[in-house]
Amino acid sequence: MIPVRCISCGKVVSAYFDEYQNRTAEGEDPKVVLNDLGVNRYCCRRMLISHVETW
Amino acid sequence: MEIDVKKKQENELVFIIRDSDLSFANAIRRICMMEVPKIAIEDVHMIKNESAMFDEVLAHRLGLVPLFSDSESAEALLIPSECDCEDQCPKCSVSLVLRKKGPGVVYTKDLSSEDSKIKPVYDTIPLLKLMEDQEVELEATARLGIGMDHAKWEPTTACAYKYYPHITIDEKCDQCQKCADACPRSVLEFDEKNNQIKVVDLENCSMCKSCVRVCDHKYITIGHKDGDFIFTIETDGSIPPEEVLIKACDVLSNKADKIITFCEGGN
Ligand code: SF4
Ligand code: SF4
Ligand SMILES: [Zn+2]
Ligand SMILES: [Zn+2]
Repeated sequence: MIPVRCISCGKVVSAYFDEYQNRTAEGEDPKVVLNDLGVNRYCCRRMLISHVETW
Repeated sequence: MEIDVKKKQENELVFIIRDSDLSFANAIRRICMMEVPKIAIEDVHMIKNESAMFDEVLAHRLGLVPLFSDSESAEALLIPSECDCEDQCPKCSVSLVLRKKGPGVVYTKDLSSEDSKIKPVYDTIPLLKLMEDQEVELEATARLGIGMDHAKWEPTTACAYKYYPHITIDEKCDQCQKCADACPRSVLEFDEKNNQIKVVDLENCSMCKSCVRVCDHKYITIGHKDGDFIFTIETDGSIPPEEVLIKACDVLSNKADKIITFCEGGN
């Protein structure tokens, strides 16, 4: 499961998780999706980029 | 002191404070983070949890979910230490119920609150996953608290200020343009018409001094204006940033009052 918040700054990144996953799965560039969602700081961006959903 | 609002969005406020001082800006910043009360889930009563996730982990996730806590939503709620009950009562707490059967992902939208106004800010936060025939049932109690006690009661995410930058370029500058090329934030630009290096986006300057490093004769200097700050307050959605700022000012003025009464010999 994705952590509820960014572990550095506390932004609620998990709220964007499903949209991020769906859109990147469709082949959209993660950079474009993150900018679109307003996830601007690199601490929050790595939360979504580096997360691997295992089950 | 002057305040100039630069950017105002639902969850973000950027403004400039002029003619102030560092200790004041820092006091406001710390109070915004640590002493503005917000609602968060504190106790979770697990009735049933058949998922692979441990009870404590689930309770921790629930605690971090932001709940609407602006003065309109939280109007009727008392701070637990100011309530006359022993432990908790409907005056100082709100209960939320989660009941779901698998398979599927359980989201914050499945949390039902007894108070229609105090509910999760986002509906899309995944809480846990349930397999076929697994069930989860719990009752959570939310109450007001402050960030000093636990980070879940912090209304702000990014709350910070930076010095207001001040860039000077010496007359002797030979217009080699190295500084403009080195700036990672496009603060400097070469103005071809006037054959001059120009500062085009001063407030975006991060004072990284990359421009100073590449200038062969140090004709460019980066400094800051004393007493001027660019302040950013970003919240998790539970309280609008303007309200966080107003409440922080109230807390600060109460503290100042306390010191004054103490100094005058009262208590
Ligand atoms: S200090 Fe950094 S951001 Fe500011 S003008 Fe120089 S290079 Fe650009
Ligand atoms: S690097 Fe120095 S000399 Fe070159 S344009 Fe910038 S300030 Fe002038
Ligand atoms: Zn972050
Ligand atoms: Zn009570």
